Amino acid sequence: MSDARSEILARVRHASRCLPEEEITLALSRLGNGPSATLPHPDMAISFLTNVLKNQGTIAIASNRSEAVTVIGKYLYEHHRSRKLVAGNDARLAALPWRDAGLLPRFGEAESGELAALSYAVAGIAETGSIVTCTGRNNPAANNLLTEDHIVIVALDDLVERYDTALEVLQTARPRGVNIISGPSGTADIAMHMVHGAHGPRRWHVVLLGDVPADYVDQARDLAGLSGKSQAEQLPDTGE
Amino acid sequence: MTVSSNDFVAQAAAALQEPERLRTRNALGTHMPAMRSKAAEEFGDYQALRDHVASVRQHALDNLDYYLPQFEQQALDNGNQVHYARTGTELNDIVLTICQRHNARKVAKGKSMVTEETELNHHLESAGLDVVETDLGEYIVQQAGETPSHIVGPALHKPEAEIRELFLEKHPLGPRELEDPPAMVEEARTVLREHFVSADVGIVGANALIAENGYSLLVTNEGNGDLCANLPNILIVCTTMERVLPRASDAAALVRLLTRSTTGQPISCYTSYYSGPRRQDDIDGPLETHFVLLDNKRSDILASDYKDMLQCIRCGACLNHCPVYIGAGGHAYGSVYQGPMGSVLTPLLNSLEESHALPNACTSCGRCAEVCPANIPLPDLLRDLRHEEYRSKLGSGRWRTGMKLHAWLSQNPRVYRFLTGLTIRTLHRLGRRSGGFTRLPFASGWTQERDFPAPQSDTFMHQYSKQDSQDE
Repeated sequence: MSDARSEILARVRHASRCLPEEEITLALSRLGNGPSATLPHPDMAISFLTNVLKNQGTIAIASNRSEAVTVIGKYLYEHHRSRKLVAGNDARLAALPWRDAGLLPRFGEAESGELAALSYAVAGIAETGSIVTCTGRNNPAANNLLTEDHIVIVALDDLVERYDTALEVLQTARPRGVNIISGPSGTADIAMHMVHGAHGPRRWHVVLLGDVPADYVDQARDLAGLSGKSQAEQLPDTGE
Repeated sequence: MTVSSNDFVAQAAAALQEPERLRTRNALGTHMPAMRSKAAEEFGDYQALRDHVASVRQHALDNLDYYLPQFEQQALDNGNQVHYARTGTELNDIVLTICQRHNARKVAKGKSMVTEETELNHHLESAGLDVVETDLGEYIVQQAGETPSHIVGPALHKPEAEIRELFLEKHPLGPRELEDPPAMVEEARTVLREHFVSADVGIVGANALIAENGYSLLVTNEGNGDLCANLPNILIVCTTMERVLPRASDAAALVRLLTRSTTGQPISCYTSYYSGPRRQDDIDGPLETHFVLLDNKRSDILASDYKDMLQCIRCGACLNHCPVYIGAGGHAYGSVYQGPMGSVLTPLLNSLEESHALPNACTSCGRCAEVCPANIPLPDLLRDLRHEEYRSKLGSGRWRTGMKLHAWLSQNPRVYRFLTGLTIRTLHRLGRRSGGFTRLPFASGWTQERDFPAPQSDTFMHQYSKQDSQDE
């Protein structure tokens, strides 16, 4: 197919401006990065939590690692009456005090039929309420996609404001794949009815780990317009 | 790409006779614009975002001779194989060869308009492969043996009951209720999960290709594209060369704009960036990855006056806002691409001879240009195509004579004013008593459906000049 390649590239050259490289890079740098979305709150953590809720996720905060496993244990019990979950071979996940919550994680790649997977995000994005994972041993892509529930820990220090900042990982770490997740799997393909759990997880639960004031959850719920809704239904596991 | 676009009028007339589907389309034409405008409002400086992405895309297209080879080199460095296809047939052959080399039997496909354009499924199936569309909308359309009616929501034309019947017929799962959409989604999830796990090859499209690092961007809400891109051992990304963007940050800007225009979401559930095959220490991902870059006349468009059309990001906003699309429905266009963007693109990718009815499926209301995130002047491009249609002597002789007459009248304002004045005054006198006409010569298209109101008194121009002389 090499003749297809040279023919197409010749046609493209014919239609392009054929400028020298320096001129192109200069013109590109002049274009800048463009605007990002307005945050719902001046505080990055509150904005992140608000946008997770708007993306149909549920949220919890944990001030330390022991609280994180407790929160996760509670969530698993409420949804599945289970202590099992699958997690990638991430040193940060291996180091969690699992016994504190009596949880039995399996470390590796998720398989179809498993109920819940846990990821440790490389970043959280306030602008979009997203979490970022990279494929590989730490978090095989299947762990984001094959289970009923996807639970994600995001460290407060790993929050970034803008979506494009999170993409810097493409240039620095250059993983095979970067998955940016912003909600449970959804589809409206049947007569425009929104249904969660199309192919991937039905529920998406984000645990923000760090020194976060407890009222951030309520502030985020207010900003997301959920304050009137039943706490039990929307937030099964605030850790209280 | 086979089209039946010149039957637009007959196909649209048939679509208008389907009240339930028309109701669905009206709902689409109400909700989607409302969600888009809410998302644009909440963003902040949305116009600045639009202008930024448009200028980046313009820059990328102007310098595609630089960015396309840059992307190719990066993709090769990442361990991919890169193929070029001049035509749809070439793309289909390349994909089939890859599948056959690996003795593949089952292919799991993510949503890809490019492979709809090349009719890849048909080609692979003729060679004995089992091809499964995994986007729920595409899956429904594939099972029903239909074509997509909307570039984003391929099955939005199908009422819930039809999909229930389809699943009951196609899935051998015994008697069951499938009472609501969640139950149907659940069933499709179970059926398709099996296919993901057993597929030998995954095929996906790309929303963008990033020149600086060779990554491709994949935007979905279901996560099906990611399953296709990660589970099978072979991954083939089928896309077109004008998807190339210079930097990762440009892909970020595109995402901000795309999902807001498509569904009103600030971001889709899954936006993923893939570089190539699995690395030495990886435990997941495909073993071999391919990019197939299709031209199919895009290099001609790049060199033509229709170049702006290559800025299209396939968001579907112009469909959702088009009164003709909402009325006529996607199938009336007889093409993979529908609505205003389809009416421009279809003649350019096929031929004006085969699809000159489409540029006429436009009321020049301008809503599409108002909402197009890529700032494409769609009504202007449609007008240019109509102009070309006239010059190429396509269209009926009667229509052409009418156009000629109209053009002559427009160039002779005195005659024009005299004739319109005469007509208006005559109609005014004749219709004074009844207030309207149930029949009029040369206007049966109107009077068959509704009465033609009688003009009040005189033409605007006549009243205007009378006023003018009074003022003096």
